[in-house]
Amino acid sequence: MKTLVSRPWLWSWVAAAAAFALTMALTGGGGASALAYAALGFGAFAAIVGLGQMLVITLGPGNVDLSIPATMTLSGTLALKAMNTEPGTALMGLGVALLVGLGTGLANYALIFFVRLPPIIATLAASLIYQSLAIWSNRGLRIKPPQELADFATGRFLGLPNVAWVGLVLAIIVWVLLERSVWGRWLLASGQNMRAARLAGVPVELVRATTYVAVTIFAAIAGYLLASFSGGAALNMGQEYLLMSIAVVVIGGTSIAGGMSNVPGVWGASLFMFLVVSMLNSYGAGAGVRLILTGLIIIGIVIVASTRRAQR
Amino acid sequence: MSISKLLLSAATVIVAASGASAESHLADTSDKQIALSNNYAGNSWRQAMLTSWEEVTGGAVADGIVAAADANTTSENQATEQAAQIQNMILQGYDAIVINAASPTALNGAIKEACSAGVTVVSFDGIVTEPCAWRIAVDFNAMGQKQVEYLSERLPDGGNLLEIRGLAGVFVDDEISAGIHEGVEKFPQFEVVGSVHGDWAQDVAQKAVAGILPSLPEIVGVVTQGGDGYGAAQAFKAAGRDTPLIVLGNRQDEMLWWKEQNEANGYETMSVSIAPGVSTLAFWVAQQILAGEEVPKDLTVPFLTVTQDTLEESLAATPVGSVANANYTLEDAQRVISEAKGAK
Repeated sequence: MKTLVSRPWLWSWVAAAAAFALTMALTGGGGASALAYAALGFGAFAAIVGLGQMLVITLGPGNVDLSIPATMTLSGTLALKAMNTEPGTALMGLGVALLVGLGTGLANYALIFFVRLPPIIATLAASLIYQSLAIWSNRGLRIKPPQELADFATGRFLGLPNVAWVGLVLAIIVWVLLERSVWGRWLLASGQNMRAARLAGVPVELVRATTYVAVTIFAAIAGYLLASFSGGAALNMGQEYLLMSIAVVVIGGTSIAGGMSNVPGVWGASLFMFLVVSMLNSYGAGAGVRLILTGLIIIGIVIVASTRRAQR
Repeated sequence: MSISKLLLSAATVIVAASGASAESHLADTSDKQIALSNNYAGNSWRQAMLTSWEEVTGGAVADGIVAAADANTTSENQATEQAAQIQNMILQGYDAIVINAASPTALNGAIKEACSAGVTVVSFDGIVTEPCAWRIAVDFNAMGQKQVEYLSERLPDGGNLLEIRGLAGVFVDDEISAGIHEGVEKFPQFEVVGSVHGDWAQDVAQKAVAGILPSLPEIVGVVTQGGDGYGAAQAFKAAGRDTPLIVLGNRQDEMLWWKEQNEANGYETMSVSIAPGVSTLAFWVAQQILAGEEVPKDLTVPFLTVTQDTLEESLAATPVGSVANANYTLEDAQRVISEAKGAK
């Protein structure tokens, strides 16, 4: 039961390795370290938002946060505006980003709890407000990050991208919280059966509230880092992370029905999502073929991972 | 122009004393209302487009050239939503609708309704195919060809090119890319060895280029669609490769990077895109149609090109973090109209 093959996170890593190997087959091994470095750097952003989305999806059916792109844009925009390219403001900017994450998370949960909106509707509607705030606050003007922050976001430590280290540390924190803390047990119990958890004395609403705040904090951190990485916040910077955040959770082996999280799988899936696009681009696949193949490969991995799980 | 028409426009001559050449105002438009129907506001180009609209039409309303020029943007970039918006505008009694459309065909029904209700419809940038509407189109194909032409002047020996495309499935992306590939056919010393979709977003472009670079041979030039050149430069730098000749797209951060590179090592390139102020050209065209001017249904917008000679000037005129822009005047609109007439 505890054999390696039965672990659902394995398949995203196998797929990532296969995509990497296929790209290398084309180049004859050239550029391997450059590709791995790029995958870790860009994969980190998907992994960070994916970790947050994973927590929400673990809450059970119907729980998902669609405000991730808007929260990323709003946190990146406000943080860079607050820093205004002045040196020594990086921590203050991070503070602004975290406050944005806290604010959007609380607002999302307020809509879900007080107005009793389904999370999909609540977070989607709220995201229109966040996006509008981002537009209104800076009218799409791109402010550069302070130099030391830009250097940090694009720099490396021990040969790995700094953003990957951030993603790794956050993944370890989430893993410890889920596996070793009472809160993590409460979250899993709520996701498996919310009514049973409530009857067993789990403070279900507190768990939901903290989870919806956690996901937007992760999105805010990702937005802050991405804006610093790419030389400024753009109004459409979060767009591709809406589906990406859900895809990496599902490919990573987390149960879409809730109650079962999978931290290593999120990272494997994030690397895979970058590598599969790079592989298909390298083979010269057109956009149509690329999108179809990406879809087919994702379906294939989910099927393999879920049948393995069913056999346990 | 007949005497009676001149007399008709006499009132306009007085109110339009702000420098607008009034002799071709065929009729007074000071009681006319024009609405902007815009499908998307979520990037800096669209924001600059809306700012230009406010500046120019605000002045026109203050000068009494038109009675109102309201901007309306739909939230979801969807044709159905925009069709409903157009129907509302018909009911509100606007005389003209200037539209940047979510789809070239899906709005045709609503636009036909507008035309039947006597509303003048002028589409620009995102144009519509409905024959009763005017189209201010961009020759995107020529924009693609122009890039390769420029590369052939700078790199007569040719070499490998990387193409950064826009958003897959969008008409503009297909047109620019077709132009680039026609250009490559004309200058066979070039070969497009890699092609990625950057979705017109810098971070997406940077990611896509970083992913394909390890598998590519030496690249001498990068052809783009605008807004993605800086991201490509960052990806080349991160991969430790020499910076190739990257065609830029008029964004301020791109031009600033170009200037820095030029000062550091004599880097030269070109930058081409459409000025977001094209919305104001559409406004003046609508105003001219309402004034009774004969305007051909198909007009072409000029590109906004930045060269090494005009770099300093463009950079100085562009707000930090925005896009190089130009607001069009009534005279510009009249020139575009008369050129289109001459071409017929």
